[in-house]
Amino acid sequence: MPILSVRDLRVRYSSSGPEILKGISFDVEEDDFFAIIGPSGAGKSTLIRCINRLVTPTDGEIILYGTDVLSLNARHLRRLRRDIGMIFQEFNLVNRMSVMDNVLSGRLGYMGNFAGLFRLFSKKDISRALSVLDRVGLSDHVDKRADELSGGQRQRVGIARALMQDPKLLLLDEPTSSLDPKISREVMALIMEIAAEYGVPVLCNIHDVQLAMEFCNKIIGLQDGIKMFDGPTTKMNKKKLDEIYAMEVL
Amino acid sequence: MSSTANTSARPQGDPPREWHRFRFPESLYRWGGVMLALLFLSYSFVYLNIPLDRFLGMFGRIGQVIADRYYPPDIEYVTEPDYLASVVDTIQMAYLGALFGMLMAIPLGWFGSYNMTPSRGFVYPVARLLTMAARAVHETIWAILFVTILGFGMLAGVLALTMFCTGFAGKLFAEEIEAIDMGPVEAIRATGASELNVMAYGVFPQVRVAFTGIGIYTWDVAFRAATVVGFFGAGGMGWYLKRNVLQIETERVAAILLSIIVLVLISEGVSAWARSRVARAK
Amino acid sequence: MAVADATIRNVDRIIAARAKTRTIRALIYMVVLLLVVWSVKTTIVDDTDWERMGSVGNVLHGVVQFLGIDWGLVPNLWQPAVETIMVATLGTLLGVMMCVPAIWFGALNITPYPPITYPIARLMMTLSRSIHEIVWALFFVAAVGLGALAGVLAIAVRSIGFIAKMTAEAIEDLDPKPVEAIRAVGGSDFQVFVYAILPQILPVMIGVIIFEWEINIRRSSVLGLVGAGGLGLVFFRQLNTFNHPGVTTVILAILVLILFGEVVSYYVRKAII
Repeated sequence: MPILSVRDLRVRYSSSGPEILKGISFDVEEDDFFAIIGPSGAGKSTLIRCINRLVTPTDGEIILYGTDVLSLNARHLRRLRRDIGMIFQEFNLVNRMSVMDNVLSGRLGYMGNFAGLFRLFSKKDISRALSVLDRVGLSDHVDKRADELSGGQRQRVGIARALMQDPKLLLLDEPTSSLDPKISREVMALIMEIAAEYGVPVLCNIHDVQLAMEFCNKIIGLQDGIKMFDGPTTKMNKKKLDEIYAMEVL
Repeated sequence: MSSTANTSARPQGDPPREWHRFRFPESLYRWGGVMLALLFLSYSFVYLNIPLDRFLGMFGRIGQVIADRYYPPDIEYVTEPDYLASVVDTIQMAYLGALFGMLMAIPLGWFGSYNMTPSRGFVYPVARLLTMAARAVHETIWAILFVTILGFGMLAGVLALTMFCTGFAGKLFAEEIEAIDMGPVEAIRATGASELNVMAYGVFPQVRVAFTGIGIYTWDVAFRAATVVGFFGAGGMGWYLKRNVLQIETERVAAILLSIIVLVLISEGVSAWARSRVARAK
Repeated sequence: MAVADATIRNVDRIIAARAKTRTIRALIYMVVLLLVVWSVKTTIVDDTDWERMGSVGNVLHGVVQFLGIDWGLVPNLWQPAVETIMVATLGTLLGVMMCVPAIWFGALNITPYPPITYPIARLMMTLSRSIHEIVWALFFVAAVGLGALAGVLAIAVRSIGFIAKMTAEAIEDLDPKPVEAIRAVGGSDFQVFVYAILPQILPVMIGVIIFEWEINIRRSSVLGLVGAGGLGLVFFRQLNTFNHPGVTTVILAILVLILFGEVVSYYVRKAII
């Protein structure tokens, strides 16, 4: 029984614009580290943003833990989003806030308007934030401002923020594209460890095929909004990769 | 034509290219437009009946008027307690107007920014229209309207300045919000936060410094406007100006104008200093 | 359990620090709030003649009488509207001419004698921007008499500051390479100005002038209040004859005029830049 199943997903940003995703279907199982690869412009980011509806699909079906994602109203959508942790390519931290507040903002989905506005985080949230920061190796940087950190450290804050949500699914949108190769590998390894610890499946957009082959157990390959490959990493080979990246101009 | 390797020289066989500074119809539109503008300008002179002879002799005349009637300014008049009290009133009116205006401008800026508005079809145009209307109507007109409805006094002045500042700050706030990085907004939204908290965490930290700068600037502009709303009965030092203009007490008028200039210069200096401090505190 | 103890101590420390920040913030807000309440009390509450204003109903009545449009007035608005636009346009143009010395003196890299000419230019710009257009208009009405000329002059003088400041800054940010290039092909100072400097600052200047023109329409629409013609005069007359729907009509006309200015400036900007 897949925990996430996507059926015939189609996205168009404007009614006259081009179709970005042309009917994508796939399933994510409980302990998957699932990679989406493909050249830039293939629709990877759009696809991953459909799962928590940062992008609204034009057609198709997304079922996550038995919930029909596309039929939710605003309140239930917020509920859904708080169960999905997301980690971004540009980290998307709030630069002028402290590391602590950035991590705590992961709890906002559990808080009301008023408590959030006045930053009234509970003692439990704060001690949880500390242990999460400890886990990602940032316990010395709690009071720093987010923009004082290096790229790798910022992405660790991003991971900590996602963990604060107590997620049932992690979405990674090119988590390593803004990092150098060595740090990229470290960050991916950390995410993999943490996903295993917390027992969270991961759906990951990744440009770097090397990393995808190394860390992920399943891969789908997109090209221009169409699924070109779907299967375990072991089935992926040079020829199929060339097919997927055929249209990319180097 | 198939030779693409040779890009440095013109391919053989092409007809020699010509280049003209003026090309038909573009040049016609262009110079036609300029001619029309000039025609409108010269017609304006005739239509408005501007006496060119008076215009040319104006600078001498202005000098003479100032020397004869406005000099020396009656400095004693502007150091009287009554007048000084009106200065304090003016300052208070300005900051209250700026404050209330900004309180109104924050939601208007939010609703009127294309990227963050709750609804692009309805709320956005309404917020835009309100901001534009508040801005387009001149502060003196607001003052007159409020004086007519509420009577003379500073209540009308503060409300007029509030409307003025709402329009002024609302537009700048909206522009500032439209210029933010949407990444953090997306991230906070992805945590399941409410829209108000998305504003508080994703947007506000990004615009806080700019908003403070705009706020100081708004106060500065409000103070300039506050010096004249009294002219139409809305409290503050403008009323003294009006009275002395009507009584043709020109030396007092000169002193009041001087005091306005000095105060505005001071306020501008303070505002420039405060804004540079805020900008450095990024 | 040393680690757990440390974490608990940390949590307590962080919670205490956050509570302190919140308290300080709350205190600052309280002080500001008290100041505002005091200001409201001394300026608004004490200064207002509540008796005369009467009940909420009275005020509402005052508002309601402004609702409505006096269609009979509309044909009489064309001429003052055209006048308003003309005053704004001529004023902007005259302002551009008058700001040449301020630009020349006010750009640090071309000012002839920085210790003296630069402060003079700065003072000119600040004076122009800091005095309200109504005050300028009063001054020019006293100097050249009632009429459009006073309005044009007021607008012109009020425009100097902003145009000169922006243009002087553009000159200070000039890219020196084209200047060198024209010098290198043997250009004279004048040719350097025409071919290297002017093309760089012209787009900025035109943008600023159009922006200022738009603002000047708004300004010239009220100068009639102090005797400089245009829609402001009509507004004043409607108010003095207690024709309240007429007042609303004039305000709507001003809005239309400003919208017209925005549309024109949008197209001119697109055509030129």
